[in-house]
Amino acid sequence: MRRLIATVFRKEMKDHLRDRRSVMSALFGPLIGPLVFAVMFTLMASWFREGKPLEVPVVGREHAPSLMAFLQRHGATLTEAPADYEARIEAGKLDAVLIVPADYGKDFTEGRTAAVQLVVDNSRNQARSTIRRLRALLEGYSGMLASQRLWVRGVSPELALPVRVDEVDLATPERMAANVLNMIPLFLVFAAFMGGMNVAIDTMAGERERGSLEPLLINPVQRGALVMGKWLTTVVLAGVAVAVCMASFLLVVHRVPLQDLGVKARFDVPAVLGMLAAVVPLTFFASAGQMLVSTYARSFKEAQTYLQLLLLLPMLPGMVLALSPVQSQPWMYAIPVFSQQLLVGEVMRGQAVGAMPFLLGLAGCAAAAALCLRLTTRLLGEERIIFGRS
Amino acid sequence: MIEVRNLHKRFGAVTAVEDVSFSAADGVVTGLLGPNGAGKTTTLRMLYTLIKPDRGMARVDGVDVAERPMDVRRAIGVLPDSRGLYPRLTAREHARYAGELHGLSGAGLEKRVDELVELLDMKDIANRRAEGFSQGERMKVALARALVHGPRNVLLDEPTNGLDVMSTRAVRVLIRRLKEQGHCILFSSHVMQEVAALCDRIVVVARGRVVAEGTPDELRARTGKESLEEAFVSVIGTDQGLMQ
Repeated sequence: MRRLIATVFRKEMKDHLRDRRSVMSALFGPLIGPLVFAVMFTLMASWFREGKPLEVPVVGREHAPSLMAFLQRHGATLTEAPADYEARIEAGKLDAVLIVPADYGKDFTEGRTAAVQLVVDNSRNQARSTIRRLRALLEGYSGMLASQRLWVRGVSPELALPVRVDEVDLATPERMAANVLNMIPLFLVFAAFMGGMNVAIDTMAGERERGSLEPLLINPVQRGALVMGKWLTTVVLAGVAVAVCMASFLLVVHRVPLQDLGVKARFDVPAVLGMLAAVVPLTFFASAGQMLVSTYARSFKEAQTYLQLLLLLPMLPGMVLALSPVQSQPWMYAIPVFSQQLLVGEVMRGQAVGAMPFLLGLAGCAAAAALCLRLTTRLLGEERIIFGRS
Repeated sequence: MIEVRNLHKRFGAVTAVEDVSFSAADGVVTGLLGPNGAGKTTTLRMLYTLIKPDRGMARVDGVDVAERPMDVRRAIGVLPDSRGLYPRLTAREHARYAGELHGLSGAGLEKRVDELVELLDMKDIANRRAEGFSQGERMKVALARALVHGPRNVLLDEPTNGLDVMSTRAVRVLIRRLKEQGHCILFSSHVMQEVAALCDRIVVVARGRVVAEGTPDELRARTGKESLEEAFVSVIGTDQGLMQ
């Protein structure tokens, strides 16, 4: 039996390593996640950079020393505006320039409204946040002076401010980064399903469609040995996909400034081994389930359709977790797919999980895989499956 | 040596094989002749253990197909109805895989594969991948796969279907050679000329039953017809599906 399994496994490996589609889906399919991840983090890093000191080129600094002091106190870096600032703003090289006219001081001391000019190009989206911040600072300064002037005259500034709007921005880079980081478990689970998908389809539905199933079954080989050999091949390719996915996530993670974003995530050797230990057992179940579906499907195309729908399965626990974060219970670790997403997330966040959840996850996947393999073996004994249904 | 007694098989409402009995001896080419849909393929599938008979029994070298299917599979070499190849494997790899599944290995297997490459005249395709093989080349690979373990009994389902003249001749030569070596050969065909050219014994099947059995001469004598063709038409009751 073992020798026959090895024979089938060797043949299937050779066959599928020559199949560009199988190799591509194992090697390049799992790169999608890390790519999305890299793009998201690059974007966020650029948002994060907006939190850097505000640089304000000013014309006529000497006319408004107290305003300049206020701006500097609030983190702005003041520079002398270049002479061709208008052209530079139009060219997008400067976001905004502040102009303090010569009569500013005179109006100010006489208690009239003193004007400053903010030179901007509102058609440029990139400059928008600089402009908004600078405007907020200027309004803040104006509001502060207004309050002082009212105080001096014995009026409570609150009378002049019936409603105050406080903005609470939830889209902080930190929060976004944490959300994006939650994609890692999802994409690792995806890789476990995607890596072997093509093999699972080709080795069962494909075998029948090209008419090689009948000759294969006439050989004196137990159906179980055939199924095992084919399953092992699928598991190997799914495992490769998981490894590729993990490795490319590591590459990306080490290139983005997670700490700057205030994200606490562990990607050291024990954590990576822990994540792999969580996800690799899932390839057992994913491969067996895909083979079962592929055996039952009437054709290659039908198998493809079903299995692509099956790919949505990993999304479900992800969505549940996103909508209502659950307190993990021991039984949850026994449910394939759900268990792996919980575990990877916990390992990544550096929580101490212990060995039990890993063992439960392994047991759950192994049991589900065994069931699927049994059913596949039984299907291979059925005449309508061997000779196809129309 | 193949014996078939009162085989019966139905799929749902359709009875594929009503009542088929015949025997095929060693060193003899036995032809299963009948129009399309007569039950030839279903009968063969019961013999090569992929379909379980509802009633009746079949034995290969005295071994019952229903009781010991594994032993029967070891004793037969089959060219089944579907004879698909793996497009990414070479001709030689196909034969080797089948040999390994029959428990062969090492130098013995390689020697046997070489013999088959020689026997089936496959030298120019032996190390080419099956993708893009012609019908004749595909047939050779399928035959090599069926014969790699040197089976005593050879079952061929429509072996010359879709082949050109040269490939058909090659298959005939192979069948004659297997006969000389004392193999039991059972092959099915709906082409009368094919059966007439090769068979020592003919089993005529129609509508799931054996309607006539014997040597070509016996068949002619029994029907009182001069030519084999008319003899066939007379036993089947129609010439539909019998002509190429």
